Amino acid sequence: MGDRLATLEAGCFEGLAQRVHGAPLAYLDNAAITHMPLAVRQAMDAFEQRDRANIHRGVHALSQRATDAFEAARAALKGFAGAGPAHELVFTSGTTDALNQVAFGLSDSGAGTPVLRPGDEIVTTALEHHANLLPWQLAARRSGARLLVLRPDAQGRLQADGLARLLGPRTRVFAVTACSNATGERPPYEKLLALAAEAGAFTVLDAAQAMAHDVPVLGKLDCDFLAFSGHKMYGPMGIGVLAGRRDALERLAPLRVGGGMVEWVSEDDAGWSDLPARLEGGTPNVAGAIGLAAAAAFIDAAGRDRVAAHVEALRAHAVQRLAALPGVTVLSPQASGSAIVSFVADGAHPHDIGTLLDERGIAVRTGHHCAQPLLACLGVGPTTRASFALYNTHDEVERLADGVAHALEALR
Amino acid sequence: MSLATDDLYQDLVLEHKRAPRRYGALAAPTHEAQGRNPACGDEVKVQLRIEDEQVRQIGFTGQGCAICIASTSMMAEAVEGGSVAAARALQERFRAVLTGQLEPGEAALGKLESLAGVRGYPSRIKCGLLGWHALMHALQEPVR
Repeated sequence: MGDRLATLEAGCFEGLAQRVHGAPLAYLDNAAITHMPLAVRQAMDAFEQRDRANIHRGVHALSQRATDAFEAARAALKGFAGAGPAHELVFTSGTTDALNQVAFGLSDSGAGTPVLRPGDEIVTTALEHHANLLPWQLAARRSGARLLVLRPDAQGRLQADGLARLLGPRTRVFAVTACSNATGERPPYEKLLALAAEAGAFTVLDAAQAMAHDVPVLGKLDCDFLAFSGHKMYGPMGIGVLAGRRDALERLAPLRVGGGMVEWVSEDDAGWSDLPARLEGGTPNVAGAIGLAAAAAFIDAAGRDRVAAHVEALRAHAVQRLAALPGVTVLSPQASGSAIVSFVADGAHPHDIGTLLDERGIAVRTGHHCAQPLLACLGVGPTTRASFALYNTHDEVERLADGVAHALEALR
Repeated sequence: MSLATDDLYQDLVLEHKRAPRRYGALAAPTHEAQGRNPACGDEVKVQLRIEDEQVRQIGFTGQGCAICIASTSMMAEAVEGGSVAAARALQERFRAVLTGQLEPGEAALGKLESLAGVRGYPSRIKCGLLGWHALMHALQEPVR
């Protein structure tokens, strides 16, 4: 079994070297947020020190440099996400913002007839994080469309024939996750998106949990809208991406209107800019965009396949040890391509397990993980979730399993 | 031995968690209310039989973490057979201890003092108080 990923230099992730309650920190909450490597923080600091200015092509030197840096980050991230000439990329404040942008953009009638009409259908799934469910609930209410939810089977898996049964002539949108944050399940999203595209629907992929180790390639997918966050891929908080087909992005009514996204404004009317500016109202998180591009470069320097192999091996190791503990049920044990392991235990509540793990310096997340419909489908309540990044080790997995075993004994 | 095991999971707490007192639905409650903590999934329903401002009977159902269940169990034991006024006063003192406003030794908590350690774990305070919130709401909610 491999240990810490060989390419990591000493001091790359200083924050992880601390002690918590007298024990070395084992940070296993990466599905919530990852730590940033030194290179990312340095890229952001360099911008703030030398080039900090507002963008939008001001005539002074720093503004030009800031604009150039922002656009260079955009180009870099397009490359990272496998975008081609038919795609565009918009910076947002995160995945939640990106998905709200899409759902609002397709359902708002403020500036004209929305894409979604009364009686149209939106299909999403019960695996979704609330960020890829609630915006669609509102889009349905706003536009008069119907919301349909594809449920998983008893093992928590989405099936293509299940989707086929829900698709119809009125289906306008299909939204799905590339990886469930609650269970680590990886739906066959390539196939699901293709089915939905064939039915004539706009396709939306929530890639928040995938971008760090299982990056969807836009150029190879039937994907109109792709959303992801910086803070889940070794990048900063407060920055994310909405990328997709330009002709699909063109259809979105802007959610955030104001400065930087207009060609002209009079007292009672305004004309929007072209993409991407149209969907980037307000001063963006420029340092965040630069940090996100640096994070993408960091992942590619480490090697996507190496990172994936490392975190998937950690997950498999964790599943093996946890499933062997008495009265423990691991969710989606069969999931491949996963860095997330979630479990329930008889007679031991996640909150108590989590507190006892914290006491040993082990950070996990407990609760519903913003995925209440999924956990309800699976017939479980709150879970304990550990999630891995490239800086985690097999020794930490052993500490996790030993800690859970101790907690179970203490609580039962 | 880790601190949490000492502070939070004392033997008395675990005993109440494993075998909660007054657990079960009442046949004919006069008051009831539900408390829910969606973040962690704790959910308790408290039912009361109140006559002449006395808590004749109390029961609770639901699911939750050890702190929540143990606290609600000890609460039920402490308030059954006493006056509504005494229940309210105990709730105020217990809440004050858990939020660090009152020292446990000055609060006359009886067995509930075993939960005083929760005040050192801010993310668990809601767990310790959930059943009590449900109790206070139940006192305002006569069953029609």
